[in-house]
Amino acid sequence: MKLLVLFLYEWKHFVRNPFKIVAVVLLAFVGFYGMSNGLSLYERQTAEINKIETKVEKGQAEMLSYYERGEKNLKDKPWVDLTQAHQAFRNTTVYQFKKPSPALVYSIGQAEQYGFYKRVELSSSPYDEDMAAELANPERLQVGTLDFAFVVLYLLPLLLLILLYNIKGAEAEGGSLKLIEVQANSSFGWLVARVSFYAFIVWMVLLGLIFCGALLTPVFAEASSAFLKMIFFTTAYMAFWVLIYFLIIRRGQSIIENTLLMVGFWLLFTFIVPGVVHQWVSISKPTTMMTEMIDAKREKKDKLWEEEPAVLQEQLNNLFPAITKSSIAQKEERKRIQAQKRSIVALANELMKSATQPIEKQNKDRNELIDFSFWFNPVSFFQNQLNRLSNTHYDDYQNYRQDIQQLIDKQIELMVLDTWNEVSVDKKRYQEYFYQ
Amino acid sequence: MMFQIIKNEWRFLIRSKVILGASLGFIALLIVSILLGNFQAKKQEANYKEAKDFVRQQWNDIKEMNPHGAAHYGTYVFKPSNLLNSLDEGVNGVTGNIIRVEGHVQNEMVHSEASQMQVVSKFGKLKSSLLLKYIVPLLLIFLAFHAVSVEKQSGRLKILLMQGSKPSSIIFGKALSITLYGIGLLTVVVITQSLLNFQNLDSEIIKRSALFFISYSIFYFVICGLTIFFASRWQNSTLALTSMLSIWILWTIFLPNILLSSVEDWHPLPSREQFKSAMKEDRSKGMDGHNSRDERSKAFEQEILQKYNVDTIADLPINFDGLRMQADEDFGNKVWDKHFKEIRKVLTTQKRSLQLCGIVNPYLSLQNVSMGFTLSDNLHHHDFLAQVETYRRRFIKILNDEQTFGGSKTGQWDWKASSDFYKSVPDFEYQPTALSSVFRNYLLDLGLLVFWLFFTVFLLSRASKKMPIL
Repeated sequence: MKLLVLFLYEWKHFVRNPFKIVAVVLLAFVGFYGMSNGLSLYERQTAEINKIETKVEKGQAEMLSYYERGEKNLKDKPWVDLTQAHQAFRNTTVYQFKKPSPALVYSIGQAEQYGFYKRVELSSSPYDEDMAAELANPERLQVGTLDFAFVVLYLLPLLLLILLYNIKGAEAEGGSLKLIEVQANSSFGWLVARVSFYAFIVWMVLLGLIFCGALLTPVFAEASSAFLKMIFFTTAYMAFWVLIYFLIIRRGQSIIENTLLMVGFWLLFTFIVPGVVHQWVSISKPTTMMTEMIDAKREKKDKLWEEEPAVLQEQLNNLFPAITKSSIAQKEERKRIQAQKRSIVALANELMKSATQPIEKQNKDRNELIDFSFWFNPVSFFQNQLNRLSNTHYDDYQNYRQDIQQLIDKQIELMVLDTWNEVSVDKKRYQEYFYQ
Repeated sequence: MMFQIIKNEWRFLIRSKVILGASLGFIALLIVSILLGNFQAKKQEANYKEAKDFVRQQWNDIKEMNPHGAAHYGTYVFKPSNLLNSLDEGVNGVTGNIIRVEGHVQNEMVHSEASQMQVVSKFGKLKSSLLLKYIVPLLLIFLAFHAVSVEKQSGRLKILLMQGSKPSSIIFGKALSITLYGIGLLTVVVITQSLLNFQNLDSEIIKRSALFFISYSIFYFVICGLTIFFASRWQNSTLALTSMLSIWILWTIFLPNILLSSVEDWHPLPSREQFKSAMKEDRSKGMDGHNSRDERSKAFEQEILQKYNVDTIADLPINFDGLRMQADEDFGNKVWDKHFKEIRKVLTTQKRSLQLCGIVNPYLSLQNVSMGFTLSDNLHHHDFLAQVETYRRRFIKILNDEQTFGGSKTGQWDWKASSDFYKSVPDFEYQPTALSSVFRNYLLDLGLLVFWLFFTVFLLSRASKKMPIL
């Protein structure tokens, strides 16, 4: 039989089976619902960022107005001298954002487990308490949000199961299999054609949904590669399940046996294997209690204030060699000590950076362990690939932490060098701090 | 008669090599999950103890420090795990492990396990609950379906009826026999867990385990009963099985996700920024403990001067700074109470709505009681946070009192309390929530499970009266 004929027969079979049609329609509906959840999160995060940005801009404009008017002191804090670099930084609100990708519509990933805006001060750290995620119901977080990725990863195999479970099994049980094998040139080809028909239908539905998702947010304009990757990974994932089910159907002889095996594989790959890996990771690389960071935050930072001026100076010179030639470095001790005190924040920042290194190393090891499981844990592999394309993977939030750290480093460097060089902050310098 | 049917059904289960093999494999998997869960819990407990001791040692090592400096130095509280958490982890993976306890602010928990790695499993670790909630019901569906379809296809059902068996005895007998199979697996879990932790068993854990056991047993009866109902009522056995599988998918995969998202939409929480800004706004209306020039500080100063009948703060026999700090704390506490109470109110409303959804989905009721009885739901998490906050207030008050009455005078910020004083400050001790204090919160879930139990009995009675075979 020709492929087209087989497709037409299967089409008739499909349209006469309301159960299968309902299943496809349901998947399309749930897929769209999942994307609307992604859209909702994208809109909420964007709106929140816009709101904070407006507030920040207003605050900075107010600060700028002091410089424009030539006023040195803040109205409500008259002791604050805004011409000093450290005061300019301390009294200006700066945020670092992790702007949502339009591809969030496809995969919410780990977006709800992390904060996406952070107020950055000279004494901040990417591991501060305010890095906490948005307020959310923990029981909902634990179950997760039904996004499009969830539909693809967990429900797509179930839809394929519903569409394919009775292929060949029904003919074998009804006794018509031998007849089909005689009529069709190849029973393998007949099976391939029938399975391909359903795979094609599901693929078209998924492509339609992915395209619809791209219209909900500016995917084409801002994340076109995510669109193509989404198609690629969805297709690859679907092909993986189609292959497994095809092999089951090919060797199976009854509907129940095939269904049981298909459900078994689905349970194995979606529940058991990821569950085992998760448990294994938790045992071999337990959650860090951040004691190194606590130690740095309290003990080591406090001790900096008790250090001898000479020790502090040496540490600062190592960190910022340029200050050895600064104007204050040549001046009397009182001025130097004052500048040292203002620069302690830079040494504290270095302490925090070293304290977070082992934590990041532990997290890296944990993730490498998970990566290692991917060859037998395909669902987690695809889940993380989808998270990557929507910039909601662990690594994306790690990059966000690095961006925060870079901003802190930059602000500290500007503040320290300007303090040691006795730069009087004016409008131009303030704009250089915050408007570039 | 019913007893005979149950006996026959069990005889079949034991004689069938496939089912016996699958059962043994499943029991092995359950035992492995319990062993791993316990091993993980013990390791976590050791980490927790190490971190707790580390932080306390740092506190004990304080030689001399200004008490208010110590309030900023603060301490950290780590969330301990419980014996029963190894059965159901609940929200523990997403709520964070560490909370900073310090003056002026009520912090939130941070650094959750979920935020320390990429995604592994959407449905959680291989804990007993993963198997008992998702996989065992599926196994029971197949067994219950098989129990009826085999009788129908082989014609034994007709023979049984002709021999005088009552349809209700057959239907209920089959439902009970498969339920007992599920209960057997459940028993393996509870007994293994108890044996592994025999020394730590107390009445509280026994009561919670018993309720855990009863809730799952009811759910298993509902699952078996519904499958028997569909299998006996519908001529098309494949349709009967797929219908029950669809119900399983709907209950365990679809609805929990959709309903939880929906209740969060119906009763939204504020954004973190809104929440913080509102607290900051309210906080700004009170005294600033660090600003003696603040008008409210001045009014408070007058109040204290009058109380001690002196003219200036220098004449006070105490340190006014400590009093001002405590007044600042007291006002702050009112602000935190107001705002955190609002959040808890929203979460309680969300929970109540979700519990009501148990009318259409008994799995949700099971989920709630499973987490609740293993101390891992949001309610128990909030109780932990409430205990931490109570401790924080006590901790800060002790420090402020030392600043006030410890022998220093106003303005002596360089005055330092002794090492003995810091050692005398009590450490945080978590008291696990007593079941009696929270049990009423689960009455609705238990009630709905019982409702589903009766509804299933009703359906089975109907099915026995209208069996198509007749």
